[in-house]
Amino acid sequence: MAPAPLLPVHPPNGPDPIVQPQKSQKQMTKAERRELQERQRAAKAAAKSAAGPAGNQGKGGAKPSAPPTPVPKKPGKSEALPKPPLTPGGRTKDRSASISEPAAGNARGLRIFSHFGLPKPVSVAKGDIHPAILRLALQFSNFKITGGNARCIATLTAFKTVIQDYTTPPNTTLSRHLMTYLSPQISHLVAARPMSVTMGNAIRQLKLEISGSDIDLPEQDAKNALFQKIDTYIRDRILIADQVIEETAGNKIKDGDVILTFARSSVVQKVLLGAHEQGRQFSVIVVDSRPMMEGKKLLSVLATAGIKCTYVLLPAVGAVINEVSMVLVGAHSIHSNGAVYSRAGTALVAMMARQHSVPVVVCCETYKYSESVQLDSFTKNELAPVGDQFCPFPLVKSPSDLTLQNRARLEILNPLYDLTPPTCITAVVTEVGVVPSNSISSIPIALGRLL
Amino acid sequence: MAEAQAAETKFEIFEAYNRILRDDEMSPPLAAILSLTELIANSQAGTMFELVKELNDGAEELKKHTANPMSLNAGCELFIAFVTLFPHESDSFAQLKTELIKQGQKYASEAISHRNKIAELMLGFIKDDSVILTHSYSRVVMRALLHAHKTKRISVYVTEARPRGLGIRTYEALTSAGIPCTVVLDSAVAYVMDKVDFVLVGSEAVVESGGLINAVGSNQMAIIAKAASKPFYALAESYKFHRLFPLSQYDLPTHNPSILSFPTISPRPSGSETSSAGVSPHNVQSNQANGSSSTPSRLVQISMTSEQIARNPEVDYTRPDLISLVFSDVGILTPEAISQYLVAMFAG
Amino acid sequence: MSPDPQTLPAGTQRFVEALVAKLRRRQVVGSREAALETVLVLRQLVSKARFSNIEQLISLIRAVGRRLVEAQPKEHSVGNTVRKILHHIREEYNTASKGTASSSTKPVYSISTFVLQGQPRKHNVAPKSEATLSLKENDPDDPDSFARVLKPVLMEAIQDVLDELETVYDNVSKNAKDHIHSDEIVLTIGNSKTVESFLKGAAHYRNFTVIVAETGPSYGGHSMARALSSAGISTFLVPDSSIYAIMSRVNKVIIGAHAILANGGMFAITGSLLAATAARVHSTPVVVCAGQFKLTPLWNLYHDYGALDFADPSSVLGFEEGALVEKVDVLNPYYDYVGPELVDVFITNDGDHPPSSVYRLIKETYDDDDHEL
Repeated sequence: MAPAPLLPVHPPNGPDPIVQPQKSQKQMTKAERRELQERQRAAKAAAKSAAGPAGNQGKGGAKPSAPPTPVPKKPGKSEALPKPPLTPGGRTKDRSASISEPAAGNARGLRIFSHFGLPKPVSVAKGDIHPAILRLALQFSNFKITGGNARCIATLTAFKTVIQDYTTPPNTTLSRHLMTYLSPQISHLVAARPMSVTMGNAIRQLKLEISGSDIDLPEQDAKNALFQKIDTYIRDRILIADQVIEETAGNKIKDGDVILTFARSSVVQKVLLGAHEQGRQFSVIVVDSRPMMEGKKLLSVLATAGIKCTYVLLPAVGAVINEVSMVLVGAHSIHSNGAVYSRAGTALVAMMARQHSVPVVVCCETYKYSESVQLDSFTKNELAPVGDQFCPFPLVKSPSDLTLQNRARLEILNPLYDLTPPTCITAVVTEVGVVPSNSISSIPIALGRLL
Repeated sequence: MAEAQAAETKFEIFEAYNRILRDDEMSPPLAAILSLTELIANSQAGTMFELVKELNDGAEELKKHTANPMSLNAGCELFIAFVTLFPHESDSFAQLKTELIKQGQKYASEAISHRNKIAELMLGFIKDDSVILTHSYSRVVMRALLHAHKTKRISVYVTEARPRGLGIRTYEALTSAGIPCTVVLDSAVAYVMDKVDFVLVGSEAVVESGGLINAVGSNQMAIIAKAASKPFYALAESYKFHRLFPLSQYDLPTHNPSILSFPTISPRPSGSETSSAGVSPHNVQSNQANGSSSTPSRLVQISMTSEQIARNPEVDYTRPDLISLVFSDVGILTPEAISQYLVAMFAG
Repeated sequence: MSPDPQTLPAGTQRFVEALVAKLRRRQVVGSREAALETVLVLRQLVSKARFSNIEQLISLIRAVGRRLVEAQPKEHSVGNTVRKILHHIREEYNTASKGTASSSTKPVYSISTFVLQGQPRKHNVAPKSEATLSLKENDPDDPDSFARVLKPVLMEAIQDVLDELETVYDNVSKNAKDHIHSDEIVLTIGNSKTVESFLKGAAHYRNFTVIVAETGPSYGGHSMARALSSAGISTFLVPDSSIYAIMSRVNKVIIGAHAILANGGMFAITGSLLAATAARVHSTPVVVCAGQFKLTPLWNLYHDYGALDFADPSSVLGFEEGALVEKVDVLNPYYDYVGPELVDVFITNDGDHPPSSVYRLIKETYDDDDHEL
């Protein structure tokens, strides 16, 4: 297991705000020491100016001289949060006391977003990680492979290689030991990027298959059986499911329709291409947004196929929504209350569509179903790395206008996902049928098994 | 003798009113104002107090004879308020009366041009290729649509507006002017609402709350427009501004207990299907309120009897939060502005 | 329609043309800048103009105003400033001429005027001159006497307008601390100077957090975030896609406006509609900070698709994308229309107003005749 991850987005007083994987201990102690210093200095200053007359703007006057306010270190995985320093005499309306208030305010502001999973640098692998997994983890953390389906397929394919190279140690069986062998590999992947629901469901299914494999089978046969199961899973739950969804959703597209889609969903891409091949005349509006700007990829695929496309950024949705006949989006996962967890920005598009009575159709395979009920986008989310390494700003913007890194009192957050409430969704198209969003919990029943 | 004279005057006012209304362009409130001016001309009153009393009596008389007095009320109220607040500069009362009569007639003649002003204001809000939904027949809406048709392409859905079916009149007028028009069932308004760009209605009266009184069906349309997020515009000349604050549909002066009442059930022998009053020209067979069993012929169009129709309201009240804007000759007003306007206007 | 060159003094013609050119080439950036420049040009014009009655002056200013508005119809503050100055001029004239022209024509009291009484009462600007000046209109012997006497008063009035424009930011942020409480989380978008000064004003007294949305494709949010953090406000910069995600934690949405329309709606930078709608869904209050010079007495602009100014598409999809650029359509609207039902309050340099009373403000600030210049 990698050491306690140093969250590179450091509190806004850090001596160097640049993302750097470092030995955590030294950094923390340095911050602690500095914090203590600031606390003492602030207390002294507060005591002094509390006596003096409340002259000019306290904050303005005192601030430039005082160093940037101390802030408790980002907790990340650590439990205890050092309490913000309090002025002697509690918080009063006295402006001089406001020196300590920023510290508390900062702490509160940071705490709200502190549980987001920040991108972690792929540190040195602990233990014996298969090179296929190493490669995959690197691809994940560099966002070379994105999208629920793609990540799941890549993971399962990598696992096939791992299983092939695995040999059962003596005195134990494949069905029991393989799982313990795979666990550190999985953890390494999770360290690169938090696990997607698709990966989670697939791995759970894999574990089930492994534990159910026959002890008496010779090793290679057992492995082949597992390969068979993995291939079947990919084929049935993803590829064929996509075909069914493509057909079902494609039937909803009529000639002359204007379809709006957000970012890039592999399923939606298949639906649109399929409908186009069937000869339906429609046009597509692709809405895109930072931090991922994946819409451009979808745009080039659709444009090359000959579909008439328009490309806008997310803030322009209000201007185009009047012309739209249907909104088609994909999902990362779908929850039992019907809420859809998808790329950040989907909720905004769905909300605007609802305001204008445009139907919102979500294309989602059943293996993306997650039993948890998520209430808002904060419970579980992921942040993209800061800056424009993998998603450049348009060339017309000079970099001096842009803020690409954290600075004093300024933090950049790039949440990757958000939650669309079930009220904004008209229908969910799955391979078992079209369901309204609040009947999603009936999917497991429809499949006759527990997902 | 005073009574005979009074009877003469009374009789005169309603006759005058009807006579004036024969002009197609004249609307009830204007006709009311003009008939009130005629009353002044024939009046024997010697003081302002008496005159105002006579005017009030005349207005009451008009109201009594009209089934739907809403817009008429507005016009009378406006004129009487004007008369009451008119500054007395002239010495002789007769001179004052002549002045009032002149003012009344001048206003009525100007008022016809108000419709053009409103049509002009409306023009800016109509885009090319607009699809407009309107209700029943309204002269000011007709003027606005015909005016827009000169420079822009529009198409219009109009509701049938039962039971009087005035929507058909709108349909014929628009089609003969070359505007594509379709008549829509009153019950199909929700079906058609998503295709529509905005809703445009006329008005009988615009009231103090900022709401609208218009032919029954307008409230329904406004609610559906709100649900579909479509703008709802009302056109109202300034003489339709009325000092009334209905709290609900049933607070309207046109509401009476017989509306929406349940009939007393008198037992009839089964099998009797013919009735006394079938109204619709397409009627083949009509039914009682409680009886049924019509022969299942496809072409049968069953219609309401006039008794049943009488149980239904003629006008309804639309709440101000459902209305986007009111276009009037004094400008474009939001519903909040209307209430402030009315207060300011009648405060003197 | 260019103004009659004979009536325009030669010197001012140049100034007017210069401003017209700048407006057309979009070299004047920002509504406040446009308003300031307009005031300066009009001040020049009035000081050098020759007129013997008030009508001439007004038609002169209207002609110039028309020209300026035509140069850049989407920059509404230009027209608004012209209307405001006309309003002030008429006020001053009416006060000044009260002494001389005894109510020559008694207003004809007719039903129409009775009906028009319903109009909101005019906002009476405190007149500059207490003493009633003796104004001789159309004096054949001394045609300049009228102008000579009236000009100082008019110049003062125009100076008032200029002062108001220059102190817009201070006045808007005057009561900022009453609107923002401690530990609030405020969401803002784009790069509005008015909002920036409002937040900085509140930051002197309160401790709060600001989340700034990037606002593509102009990405004005970046400059805003830097400015706020330099002022000591703890700031987060997020992309537009996360507006809905974080809205559940936001206490207030504070945005700027480009122009406020007569029905209480407004034009604001694209992205404002998203933020305001998301706020409405979460029942979060939406506060708009704008100077009074942004009040526009026009109604029907939002029905024109063309009312949304469009900017260059290369900010959205640039040529670095290669061949893709010619296969697709790219839209880059610069403004959004936000309806009055989405805004809770307008904070202007003249106080706080709900959207429903905007029409009344407009009636008070401008004259009806000037709605169409």
